[in-house]
Amino acid sequence: MYLSLVQPSRTTARRASQPEKPAAPQTHAVFRGRALPWLLLFPSLLVLAIFSYYPAMRTLRLSVFRSNLIIGNEQFVGPANFAELLSSPVYQQVALQTLVFVTLVVTLGLLCALGLAWLASKPIAGAKFYRLMLIYPYALSPAIAGTLWLFLFNPEVGPVNAVLGHLFGLQPRWLDNPLLAFGLVVLAAVWKGLGYNIVFYLAAIQNVPAEITEAAEIDGATPWQGFWWVVFPLLSPMTFFLLFTNIVSALFDSFGLVDILTRGGPVYGRAGITTFLMYQLYQDGFRNFKTGAAAAQAALLLLLVVAIVLMQFRYGNRKVHYGA
Amino acid sequence: MNKLTTLPLLALASLSLVSLPLVLLSVASQAAAQSTTAQTTTVDFWHTFGDAKRSGWIQARADEYNKAHPNVKVVPSFKGDSNTTFQSTILGARQGQPPALVQVDGTSTQLALDSGVFQPVGSIKPVDFSDYLKPVIQYYTVGGKVNSIPFNASSPVLYFNKDLMTKAGLNPQNPPSTFAAILNVCAKLSAAKIDVKCVALTPFSWLFEQWLSEQNVALLNNGNGRASRATATNIDSAAGRKVFQFYKDLNDKGYLTNTGKLADTVGTNAIFTAQKALMTINSTAGLGNILDGAKQSGFTLGVGVLPIADGSTRNGVQIGGASLWVTKGVSKGVSEAALDFALFMTNTKNMADWHKVTGYYPVRQSSVNLLRNQGWFASSPLQVVAFNQLLSTSPNVANAGSLSGATIETRTIIEQGLQKVLSGQSVVSVAAATQDQANAAITDYNKNFK
Amino acid sequence: MLIVASPLIFALIKATQSSAQVTGPSLLPGLNVLANIRAAWEGAGLGHYMVNSAVVAVCVTVGKTVLSLLAALAFVYFRFPLKGLLFALVLFTLMLPTELLIVSLFDVVSGSLHWGNSYAAIIVPFIASATGVLLFRQHFMNIPASLSDAARIDGAGPLTFLGRILIPMSWNTIGALAVIQFVSAWDQYLWPLVIMQTDSKQVIQVGLSKLIDVEGQSNWGAVMAGAILAILPPVAVFTLLQEQFSKGFALGQDK
Repeated sequence: MYLSLVQPSRTTARRASQPEKPAAPQTHAVFRGRALPWLLLFPSLLVLAIFSYYPAMRTLRLSVFRSNLIIGNEQFVGPANFAELLSSPVYQQVALQTLVFVTLVVTLGLLCALGLAWLASKPIAGAKFYRLMLIYPYALSPAIAGTLWLFLFNPEVGPVNAVLGHLFGLQPRWLDNPLLAFGLVVLAAVWKGLGYNIVFYLAAIQNVPAEITEAAEIDGATPWQGFWWVVFPLLSPMTFFLLFTNIVSALFDSFGLVDILTRGGPVYGRAGITTFLMYQLYQDGFRNFKTGAAAAQAALLLLLVVAIVLMQFRYGNRKVHYGA
Repeated sequence: MNKLTTLPLLALASLSLVSLPLVLLSVASQAAAQSTTAQTTTVDFWHTFGDAKRSGWIQARADEYNKAHPNVKVVPSFKGDSNTTFQSTILGARQGQPPALVQVDGTSTQLALDSGVFQPVGSIKPVDFSDYLKPVIQYYTVGGKVNSIPFNASSPVLYFNKDLMTKAGLNPQNPPSTFAAILNVCAKLSAAKIDVKCVALTPFSWLFEQWLSEQNVALLNNGNGRASRATATNIDSAAGRKVFQFYKDLNDKGYLTNTGKLADTVGTNAIFTAQKALMTINSTAGLGNILDGAKQSGFTLGVGVLPIADGSTRNGVQIGGASLWVTKGVSKGVSEAALDFALFMTNTKNMADWHKVTGYYPVRQSSVNLLRNQGWFASSPLQVVAFNQLLSTSPNVANAGSLSGATIETRTIIEQGLQKVLSGQSVVSVAAATQDQANAAITDYNKNFK
Repeated sequence: MLIVASPLIFALIKATQSSAQVTGPSLLPGLNVLANIRAAWEGAGLGHYMVNSAVVAVCVTVGKTVLSLLAALAFVYFRFPLKGLLFALVLFTLMLPTELLIVSLFDVVSGSLHWGNSYAAIIVPFIASATGVLLFRQHFMNIPASLSDAARIDGAGPLTFLGRILIPMSWNTIGALAVIQFVSAWDQYLWPLVIMQTDSKQVIQVGLSKLIDVEGQSNWGAVMAGAILAILPPVAVFTLLQEQFSKGFALGQDK
């Protein structure tokens, strides 16, 4: 049974090296049964319905109300919350900043992770230790990670500026220079997410049968060619998965780090330059307790996400090589 | 091997399918069982102190109280920072499960009143508030009613490095007490060519508010939001612009440093204790850590009164900190026990002890007297400055502290304004824009009541 | 590599320093390591929080893995009405972070279910996983269709197929997912803080946050020592599963 594993993989490699040829449509649906698929899905759907969809609906309902979490009031205002957001120059700037941030974090994050995972997969001395060092940032909670970065980049007493000052006579103002602060948050987010991406890339790389890379080497490919033309295409389902989850985590999970590292600042133009959509939402909803306004922001974010999911549907199954 | 892996997996799968309703049932029965066994009065007390020193102190007082009152069980628990503690209280109260006693930050006073979740302590039973320090009790008095029991209180002071002062040819016995004096000291420091910054100062709205209070200007209209709901701020006033100008002057002359993050007092404390700055302005609540830091890096710490804007007489500081609120949705017995414990925890002896352990003010006059009789002030002279600053404050509208449900938002707006000035924008335009933004935030909050 | 590792080294050094040194520039290891660990361990009582977190994280990880495997099996190997819509519904939940829903979720879990005092409150809401479903679906689609054809011809049912063929071929993915799920369950902070009424059932990140204080009185040395103690279990899980899934893979190849 396992022999058959190797066979189709070879064809995958051949096909993968000719990316212009589209993958054959998949015909996986083989088992019959009406009730069984529903039964298999039931636990997941039940949990998601109770703990995600129902609370989400309740949250979204609030987007047409003026509501304050503490006061507990609900005054119907129709689309006023949305109108206010969409016409707000602050919100527009925040949206633009978020776009740049997500693009940078996802691109840099995936490239670094791919390279490091590739290196980590090599049977080099101390590989285990090396892998551990790569995964640990993910294991740190955002609060601790943020605190560490804050100490490291304190402009007067942080070790980073101590080293830079000693070597080059530089004392950059990391947290109130808008460009540096933005870069720092991007870097911190990339660093924090590295572990996640590396774990999955490592798993995917280890899934690539050794004979494929060996075959490429025998054919005279350099390691780089072997990687780029043989291995990378085989990793494309994983890349696609990671692209998707990274966009989501850059959009939604970065606010803990931002809160501790910069508090959304420094101010540039009309808003703090590291204030991103989710941080703004968190501030409005849970610091300023403007539940209605926050719900409207959540609704807009959901719209954005619907667009991303539709894209995943449209391009996901087509552009990705799934093998034979 | 395959069978072996399949079996447990299938078992797990089916288990998870049936476990949900089971869990539901078991939890429901658990909840039912709990409600029938309430013999002793349980007082849940949520506070914001996670550190061993202060949460340990609170737990010790609860243990003492529980021992003396066998039918009452006070259960203190740390509930995160003040924002999370407050939010959890409100959420719990809406579900009919509030804690009895909650530590609420002073900035949330108006929100606490507007939430309708709490009851004024005076309505549970008559309480004698005459022993409380005036500046402290007036902060928690709204519309003639004391709503909560004062607990942890602090105010801002000037911290300075005595050794560096001496090195720069300045008199460490005479720290600067006005903005002009600070600039003067800074000029002398830079003339002495000592490679440290003069002041570590973060954009911090709490200080901005203190400096308005010292100039006898209320931050908010309508009696600082105490006579009736505030509708506008006095940020763009002569007093407010003086504060912006102070930040600007320090910055333009290269005297100022901070981490760049808003309200990052941890960062400025670190800069100061690492001897990278001559002075810093911060809360008395940080005295313990700053003192340790000074010892660690080997310099003598000095404490001075909060330096104020020139051209005004010292009107006094407003109190910072938190108080203890009793919730409404608990039985009469529980609320009485909660109040009784709050009064026990803040009694004369306990508050004097609290001050020694934490550096917070003892909020009672009798505690101050007790400490004085014990000779405490002679043995710890650094505390005296802060004390006198508070005791010499005679209460009025400006130093009573501002009340508004939008305080958290307006604080961020003020801090962003201070940062804009530091990045080179003009004081006049920033003060006007900051005032507009803050007023808009207050107007927006008030719309909740139309 | 050094850049990635440096914050950890920094944290390790800081964990040995006294509270006042930590926020300062000194990079010399201090002698306070034991005092800091004791402050973290005894002062904040990290031990019992870590046990709680371990229980929660293991339950969440196992639950997520099992539910995701079952759901992915349905999505890849069955044809049924509304499949596309259901998959989209599962996928959407990726965009519904707990923080966003916390108020309504609180009402459901505390108000309707009365779970405020039980582990269920911090386990059950998280045992379904869009990430898991998505990943296993991708992985299953990558497995040659000929295998499922063969299984069908052999007369094997879908669950037998899952247990005998899919799972042995998925160890890498299961391991990777388990590591990530374990860590994310371990890192839960805001939700347990808000929902859990009993301190004896509270989780590690809340315990750790007791060491960080908003008013500048934090014992940073203890925070760093605590942070290092707190990442040991996730790192151990990673090391363990790394062996596990490498081996699972090797078996698959050799036979």
